[in-house]
Amino acid sequence: MSRAIQKNFRGLRALVIMAPDSGTETLERTLVKLGLEVTVAAVLPCTDGGPLPFDVVFFDADDGGDSALDDSAVAELPLIALIGSEAPSRLARVIQHRAASHILKPVRSSGIFTALLLAVNEHTVRMRHKQEMQALNRRLSGRRIVMKAVMQLITRCGLSEEDAYDWLRREAMQRRIPMEDMARHAIGLGPDPAQDGGPQHGRAPRPD
Amino acid sequence: MTQRLPLPIGLLISQTGSYCAVGRAIHAGAELAIEEINASPERSVTITPVAIDPGGVLSGYVDGARSLLQEHQLRHVVGCYTSSSRKEVLPLFEKADALLWYPSHYEGFETSENIVYSGAAPNQHIVPLTRHLLGQFGARGWMVGSNYIWAWENNRILREAIAAAGGSVLGERYFPVGDTDLEDVVHQIIADRPDFVFTTLIGQSGFAFLKMLRAAAEAAGIDQPREMPAASCSLSEAELPLLGDAASGHLSSSVYFSTIQSVENRRFVARWTQRFGQMGQASADAESAYVAVHLLARAAERSGSTDFDAVRNAVRDLTFDAPQGRVTVDGDSLHCWMRPRIGRSRSDGTFDILVEHPVALRPDPYLTWAHDARDGNVRDLRLIQ
Repeated sequence: MSRAIQKNFRGLRALVIMAPDSGTETLERTLVKLGLEVTVAAVLPCTDGGPLPFDVVFFDADDGGDSALDDSAVAELPLIALIGSEAPSRLARVIQHRAASHILKPVRSSGIFTALLLAVNEHTVRMRHKQEMQALNRRLSGRRIVMKAVMQLITRCGLSEEDAYDWLRREAMQRRIPMEDMARHAIGLGPDPAQDGGPQHGRAPRPD
Repeated sequence: MTQRLPLPIGLLISQTGSYCAVGRAIHAGAELAIEEINASPERSVTITPVAIDPGGVLSGYVDGARSLLQEHQLRHVVGCYTSSSRKEVLPLFEKADALLWYPSHYEGFETSENIVYSGAAPNQHIVPLTRHLLGQFGARGWMVGSNYIWAWENNRILREAIAAAGGSVLGERYFPVGDTDLEDVVHQIIADRPDFVFTTLIGQSGFAFLKMLRAAAEAAGIDQPREMPAASCSLSEAELPLLGDAASGHLSSSVYFSTIQSVENRRFVARWTQRFGQMGQASADAESAYVAVHLLARAAERSGSTDFDAVRNAVRDLTFDAPQGRVTVDGDSLHCWMRPRIGRSRSDGTFDILVEHPVALRPDPYLTWAHDARDGNVRDLRLIQ
């Protein structure tokens, strides 16, 4: 099933990193019509390491000012490149920044809505994939512990492999903790995570 | 007597081809305005039109626009009807620093600085119709359309509103433009008995469909106008005579109907009947072209110039007491503030106006503010009948 796409951008905060010219004006005017709050800046504003107070970033891929985007603060935001030069050296920068969509110069009012819609929705998919990947990595690295716990349950308690696995899973679900943490506890490598009242308290159950 | 400013304009309107009936109404509406302005001693511009008929084909629009902008060096053209024709010529207008005065309602999602839009934006036609259908008839809908962007986008908006209301789309079918082989879909609709049928079929397909639906409903003992109305955002007075016995009882969402009661409209309808009565009643397409020419003339008068920049600046926030009521050009989007209305067709070729917005509604071409009617807010529509 396909998910609903985001197509209304009212209230989003856009940062436009671009030297002011007629293209900047067209971009800003059209974004305002779409309900966005727009900030135009020649360089990336300093945030002292905090998150950027923006939801989407447009950057000029031609003028070299994009080197500031190497800052990790922008990595979590959808990026839209404004491209004039199609020289591969410039386009390579667009790829490095992982721009989610682009607008060709000269900037026209047509095409801005499309670029914004593609970028925001592509970014949503990327963020979802990133989260899924993190979850998979976490589970993958905990796999050894889980296997070790299953083996111990088989040898010490005489359970079958399936029962041992089910037991771990059930206990983890009851405690509302990841199965890896439960396995760690079962083989004596950590305290019972549900008992220590620590950071896991009140954690949402995880689909497994 | 002061010298009048000469205002040469182009008319790029298809009076032949697949949608010639609407094209002729648009052309006539523009002509009526030109004659009225040129004959009025109070006006300070004199319009000279150059007309090109693109014949309803895209290449005709490109050739025509090129000729008007390059050979004739015109800076103002009233024309285009389909969105594809508008998109096709837009780059030429951008390159020439010229303005297209676009006289048709459309599906939105565009705000060009080279176009003044005098027809309704989606928040002024499909959104109010959606609210009316869901509020008055129910949330089980059937959608039939001609297979192109106008139908897809209107159905997208309606589909989302139906889903948000907890209703259901019983069916959604598309047919090639001009297709009249619609028996199967009509039978399916009668079998499904939806609360309403939303149609975006255009031209011959639309006429054939409404006739077949009415006949099949009668055969099945269904009072179709009351129990299962057909609704659209395009049915106009220009098309009702072509529906024969099946002309009455259809819902249409439009900013103009010939039955609007106002001094301006009575004058417009009288002049229309006298000049173009053989074409049928005045319609939204004719009125929209009439409004476009009047806005253009006023903007030229206001700026004392026919230049692209000067006229475009002058048209921002300009008002005109049109046949439909006061129309104001939105300074940001160059679309117009207008009052949405919903009419029900009569057998005499006019519409009873059932619902009208109490005030002109700000155009919202990207549905940024109206969104998709999901808020269920109906207080902005007034039931008057």
